[in-house]
Amino acid sequence: MDIRGILELINGLEADGVIDRYAIGGAVGATFYLEPVATMDVDVFVAIRTSPDRLILDPTPIFDYLTARGGVPEGEYIRIGDWPVQFIPASGPLLEEALAQAAKIDVEGTMARVFSAEHLAVIALQTGRAKDKARLLQFLESGVLDAKRFQAVITRHSLGEAWKRFESQFLKDGP
Amino acid sequence: MTFDLQKIFQSKKEFRRRAAALPVAEKLRILDSLRERIVFLKSSIISGRTTDKPGSPPAHR
Repeated sequence: MDIRGILELINGLEADGVIDRYAIGGAVGATFYLEPVATMDVDVFVAIRTSPDRLILDPTPIFDYLTARGGVPEGEYIRIGDWPVQFIPASGPLLEEALAQAAKIDVEGTMARVFSAEHLAVIALQTGRAKDKARLLQFLESGVLDAKRFQAVITRHSLGEAWKRFESQFLKDGP
Repeated sequence: MTFDLQKIFQSKKEFRRRAAALPVAEKLRILDSLRERIVFLKSSIISGRTTDKPGSPPAHR
């Protein structure tokens, strides 16, 4: 099964009420805006239904749903077709906002909900690993970011200092 | 073909711009293919296999 097939299955998770809402992030999400970048897995950020008696988010309903449709659990992942898919709770203000404001994108008739380019870029800034910094640079060089929106997300989530450090490390000429 | 670095960088930038501008469905198909290649390469490395055909020069290691 290819990524488009996976999107259809994830749409089913939402339509059947297993999850409230999802959005694609990570390298697959970035590929909606940038050139394709090789990746090994699909990151799906989800709002999971919780009940008052259950404080820990439980991915079991997701795994059960997908296992019944051919998915194979492998540790933290569930393999769907050729792809390991990881479901990640959208916890914390930035991810919650990214999920709430995610864009709906049509992929040849299949709907995909994907984090906005600005949120993907700010999540990369916040996460801050080498590959995240490389992705943030890709976003900045590609010209796909709405500068005002990007700065507003940075400000709302108190990432001004991290942005200044990134700017001085990667975007300023000279020593 | 040129060894002019400026032209090489410009050409890379243009290639990336064209790749980014492809339809999303096409880009996702490329992701599927890229992943298949990585999996193949990894499994080849792990099993010590190469893609050499008989009579072909030895692979660089």
